[in-house]
Amino acid sequence: MSKDTAIHLKNITKEYPGVVANKNVDFQVNKGEIHALVGENGAGKSTLMKILYGIEQPDEGEILINGEVKVINKVETAINLGIGMVHQEFTLVPSFTAPENIGLGQEPKNSQGLIDWKGLNKLVVDIAEKYGFKVDPGLKMIDASVGVQQRTEILKTLYRNANILILDEPTAVLTPQETDELFTVIRTLVDEGKTVIFITHKLREVMEIADRVTVMRAGEVQGVSETKNTSIAELASQMVGREVFLQVKKDEAKPEEEILNVEDLWVHDARGLLAVKGVSLNIRKGEIVGIAGVEGNGQSELVEALTGLRKTSQGTINYLGENIASSTPKNIRRKKIAHIPEDRTNTGLNTQLSIWENLIGNSYFRKPLSTNGIFNLKKIAQHSNKLKDDFDIRAPNISLKVKSLSGGNQQKVVVARELSEDPILTIASQPTRGVDIGNIEAIHEQLVQMRDEGGAVLLVSAELDEVMAVADRVAVMYEGQIVKWVNPKEVDQAQMGLYMAGVKD
Amino acid sequence: MDKFSFKDVLVTFAGLLITSFIAWVLITATGNNPSEVALYLYEGGFKGTRNIANSLYQATPLILTAVATLISFRVGMFNIGINGSMYVGALYAGWAGYKFTTLGHFTHVTVCILIGMLVGAAWMLLPALLRVYAGVSEIISTIILNFVAVLFVSYMANGPFRADPIAPATPRILETAELKQIFPNSQFNTGFFIAVFVAILAHFILNKTTFGYELRSGGDGLVGMYPSRFSSYLGIPSDRSAIIGMLISGALGGLAGAIEVLGAVRYFFQELEFNQGFDGILIGILGKLEPIGSIIASLFYGAIKNGGFYVDYKTDVSREIIIVLISILIFFVSAQKIVKGLEKYPFIKKMDNFFSRKKM
Repeated sequence: MSKDTAIHLKNITKEYPGVVANKNVDFQVNKGEIHALVGENGAGKSTLMKILYGIEQPDEGEILINGEVKVINKVETAINLGIGMVHQEFTLVPSFTAPENIGLGQEPKNSQGLIDWKGLNKLVVDIAEKYGFKVDPGLKMIDASVGVQQRTEILKTLYRNANILILDEPTAVLTPQETDELFTVIRTLVDEGKTVIFITHKLREVMEIADRVTVMRAGEVQGVSETKNTSIAELASQMVGREVFLQVKKDEAKPEEEILNVEDLWVHDARGLLAVKGVSLNIRKGEIVGIAGVEGNGQSELVEALTGLRKTSQGTINYLGENIASSTPKNIRRKKIAHIPEDRTNTGLNTQLSIWENLIGNSYFRKPLSTNGIFNLKKIAQHSNKLKDDFDIRAPNISLKVKSLSGGNQQKVVVARELSEDPILTIASQPTRGVDIGNIEAIHEQLVQMRDEGGAVLLVSAELDEVMAVADRVAVMYEGQIVKWVNPKEVDQAQMGLYMAGVKD
Repeated sequence: MDKFSFKDVLVTFAGLLITSFIAWVLITATGNNPSEVALYLYEGGFKGTRNIANSLYQATPLILTAVATLISFRVGMFNIGINGSMYVGALYAGWAGYKFTTLGHFTHVTVCILIGMLVGAAWMLLPALLRVYAGVSEIISTIILNFVAVLFVSYMANGPFRADPIAPATPRILETAELKQIFPNSQFNTGFFIAVFVAILAHFILNKTTFGYELRSGGDGLVGMYPSRFSSYLGIPSDRSAIIGMLISGALGGLAGAIEVLGAVRYFFQELEFNQGFDGILIGILGKLEPIGSIIASLFYGAIKNGGFYVDYKTDVSREIIIVLISILIFFVSAQKIVKGLEKYPFIKKMDNFFSRKKM
């Protein structure tokens, strides 16, 4: 590994109204290395990368690329300097194929000045082959898997001659297999002389793939280390500023009477195809039932059916002895069923509204928050500030719009609201997606606490570690059916992987 | 919603400055004296009881149409058919103004206003239902209905409601239906106070009641984003919010029209022309989709409008040029990004932080 510095961000400070996002940050990446940038949501990773990529301007500090001071005041400049970024949310045209997306804006022209499609296809396939991944030039992105879309994004940067690739939480959307494939791609890129900056919260991945790691917390760099000289526990404590338990601390569940009993449930998805095919499950007071499985195997539709957001086709959902199948979200909520939805930004929150307006979504109609339809703003402020403190939502004040919060803090707003009204049953779908380690821990603790206080919890997650650590019983879903019930203590990851792939005993 | 900030003040002043410069060039180019025009613009807008009263009169329907706009926007609907509601509201308020002959003053005015609002709301029922139950874009249906409204009222004034054999107009409203004009030689009338009251009421309902919260839970800045997943997830029927929002929006358009007829024109005639429904969209946005902001923006707009009439009357500069200038001003004032570059100056940032700080 060469010791030349590819990027040096020197004493970067960036302030937003009310928040210092970066404080004297010094960030150095060597040529040809895989450098992980880790930190909690809101630690300032994204801001730092936005500054490097020319989306934001630093208030203070300078950027050195290959030892030269550069001013990067727009994305084009960054691209011309050989910096490429793959955002967490993809920027692809769904109706375009991979080559069309990759070439967009820089299409090769033929002698008549028209787009040279053949040349473009060949160019794209050549680049892909050089870095050892396959591309189907005829496949439209709308039909492509998330992994393929991500590779297309990476190819897009390579097509624009990127030498330094920034990957923003690239594994957040991938299945374990796709993650492995991505890591192979990243290693090939580095073998070919590229430099990769890998933003993540998943420390296990850092240890697996990165050469060096920079940890950020609250806008400042907490430490830079070589991965071979550090450990997950050390990184985790740097990230959150204290020791972290990577396992969920909980006692044996003491389940009591049945709260929910789903029998032979069939649900169609938005396209009218059967997504849930005869699922039966029950949840008792005082236990957490987990649903594991690769995403897209009917979990979303199951949760939507349970929470009234989707009509059921067949079967019953007995909740405290009453069939709530195809009932409305309002009725279901009034029966003290809480729902942490998988889609945070569009379903769980209205990001245009303030923190307090989001926090009172399930309680605004009750006394003392409102009387005869008129808000008691003082009580609302008390209620919201209490939730803000109890759930450690980090924001200067509760009048701030939710869209200005980091992803983890947004999720804490959802969790705080949903757990605040003493639910009997809590349905949590991907509750820690895009959330950093300290907050994952907090959310897990809150779910366990709900259980210990006599609540029933259904936890649906694509993160196998999460389901195994938090749930007391786990159902594995595959193609709309529960293929296996397991006791998380008695089964290993490899075995679970097989169940998740649909292999029955 | 975005609250007002120091930046907004800066943008407004920058906009005024740039517009003044363009105005100076335009007016000089048309062979007039810019400082004279500026003086008349000021006098027409603000000087003396009569001019002030006229400025407030110009602002009256604008306050209502701006609030009508912002309510539809804040439930997530994009209503641009307020002008249509204004026409039908005006027509039917005028009809009620001569039709009911036995009512006392207060009752008669109230009945006329309520009928105007009811018809204005009814005018929005179709686009709202089409949007909610058939997925027809309310943008398209409300634009179309604006044309329908013009033709419909013109037919009614020519046919069923026509009183005068020479001119296509309804009979004059009875005195019991009149909103009183307070100053001599000005069409300013008590409708202004109704408009301000309605705006303040809207502010209260939107921000301080559960009803208002339910209405905007799915929208609030996400214009045209209906239906929102957020409200249905919370168990708030977003369809109902969308329909109610559109009906209120239409009712306020109808009220604006009713006040024009009951307070100023006193009868409905074919040539009566409204465009405040469209101006209301601009003003609503200028006022940051807040009712109080809309009152302020309407007062400002009304003053410039009236000043423009005065300039037209006093000089050779035509009213069209004034309208061009108002448009340029609005263009620059809404150009938020102009001052984005200013953010890097510590002073501006400090001021901005200071002004955007709030209690809760």
